[in-house]
Amino acid sequence: MQTKVVQNQSDPAAPPHPVPEPVIHTVGLTKTFGQVSALEGIDLTVPRNSIVGFLGPNGAGKTTAIKLLLGLSRPTSGKATLFGMDSVQDSLAIRSRVGYLAQDPRFYTHMTARETLEFTARFFYQGPAAAIRARIDETLELVGLADKADRPTKGFSGGERQRLGIAQAQINYPDLLILDEPAAALDPVGRRDVLDVMERLRAYTTIFYSTHILDDVERVSDYVAILDHGRMVASSSTAELLDGDSTTYELTIRGDEQATLRALRTHPWVSDIRSVSQNGSTALTISVTDERAAESGLLRSVIATDDIVVTAFGRRHFNLEDVFLQLVKGQGE
Amino acid sequence: MTSITTAATVESPLAPVQATGWRGGLGNLVRKELGQWWATRLWWVQTLIWVLLLNGVATVVMLEGAGMPSEEVVTEAVNTFLQMGAITIGIGVVLTIQGAVVGEKELGTAAWVMSKPASRASFVLAKLIANSVGFLATALLIPSLIFVVQAQFMLPVSLDYGQFALAVGVVALSVLFYVVLTIGLGCMFKGRGPVAGLGIGLVLVGQFFKGMLPLPLVMATPWLLGDVAASYALDSPPEFNRMIPIIVTAAVAVVLVCLGIWRFHREEF
Repeated sequence: MQTKVVQNQSDPAAPPHPVPEPVIHTVGLTKTFGQVSALEGIDLTVPRNSIVGFLGPNGAGKTTAIKLLLGLSRPTSGKATLFGMDSVQDSLAIRSRVGYLAQDPRFYTHMTARETLEFTARFFYQGPAAAIRARIDETLELVGLADKADRPTKGFSGGERQRLGIAQAQINYPDLLILDEPAAALDPVGRRDVLDVMERLRAYTTIFYSTHILDDVERVSDYVAILDHGRMVASSSTAELLDGDSTTYELTIRGDEQATLRALRTHPWVSDIRSVSQNGSTALTISVTDERAAESGLLRSVIATDDIVVTAFGRRHFNLEDVFLQLVKGQGE
Repeated sequence: MTSITTAATVESPLAPVQATGWRGGLGNLVRKELGQWWATRLWWVQTLIWVLLLNGVATVVMLEGAGMPSEEVVTEAVNTFLQMGAITIGIGVVLTIQGAVVGEKELGTAAWVMSKPASRASFVLAKLIANSVGFLATALLIPSLIFVVQAQFMLPVSLDYGQFALAVGVVALSVLFYVVLTIGLGCMFKGRGPVAGLGIGLVLVGQFFKGMLPLPLVMATPWLLGDVAASYALDSPPEFNRMIPIIVTAAVAVVLVCLGIWRFHREEF
């Protein structure tokens, strides 16, 4: 199966989706730990005000990449810029514009949720205590922790810590939100809430988040970057990725299967046909070499065949799981 | 979760924090670290421990010296208080704050803080400042004030308060040295074992072996600071130059601060 996924970009001058002012731009970003290569030459471009899903199996290097962007770790080679600033040299200035949620957020256990947010807010803001309190109350309300605001975080469940993590990540109205598995510890309602928040923030900020939950990526992400074994195996808009493969068509018929196959094989641009029959219907997957010829001639030739009823026809569409598994499996082989 | 507000929709009276460079986040981090001392039970637990230990032992010495010559009782009480303070507070510092940096690295809170606009130097300096203030106040200043009151009522000869204050200042340097050492070791190691082992080891080695080692070598350590403090309090200069241990300890502490910050700068989270 082929997809329209744009493969790893080796030329930074030609990003997969050219955008004038990317929020994140990495060139050949590499990180090794001793003999172990965690990231191998990652080229990534994140456009402004987009939501970018960062996918990859466990150990693919997602968290390592995020830590490099935040200056929590130094690249072995290559470079990352955020807002046009170097991730190593200008880390402090970058972090003043970023909100970050760690994969397993940890806070000072002696502090309450409110105190944690006040501590976080004070890194960014100075001003009247009442204004800080108002900002904190609004944020607690946003993440559904208002009733637990004055409880020490020591007793917080994983989901509550995650909500507090989201709250502290966006308390400074960041220009960029970096979320490492934001919905991992949440129940379905919490997960939906997080996605709602992300969608509403889209107009004001850029969101770069890693996740394993492919449905979430399909729902909210404008772009998808897929990492496997430290290598970028795909980077594309979600629409492009799922848009379907113009060289493969799916056709469902009732009637004489053999006659249909004979009709299709008369075309030199039909390269492969696979069929599955069930309950009187036959599903055909047809690969072609000439997209234009197939568009105009494929359905016509089938309909012209006697005693055939076409019940479905179209380009083959993929879901993200298909694409992800294909890419990750392909890299593993 | 409910409605959302963003920077674009809010007219806020809040202004962005201006501190940048190595001071980035310092004020906030110092406030947080001081809060761990003074907004929890830590301050009164520490105060209780040190008052019971230092003033308790000093009381016993004063009571036991009831039949002794006045000068001897004073010497014994002052020596005990200052020498014991220099040693035990050093051990207490190491035991109490061995996890101050290592614990945060292990737990992940250091990484969280470092994802905010805070410099790594601020992270280390905030711990140094708050723990120094905490220990100096609870383990040294309060017991010293109580000792002065004790001396007023229980000793036959009154203390020279100026000299005693100078002596307390020397012990304070010893306390600061062990705070710096423990935080510095925390920046350099990933586990609590080496931090506690090296810190307490340094205190104990000094007490057991300082008499066996050549004086010039011992003078280049903080081990003599208890003796120096007592000599100031009792106005009895020792055989060696008292300034050498003071200067060397202060210099080593400065070097340890720089090393700790340098190492923490290289830390990968």
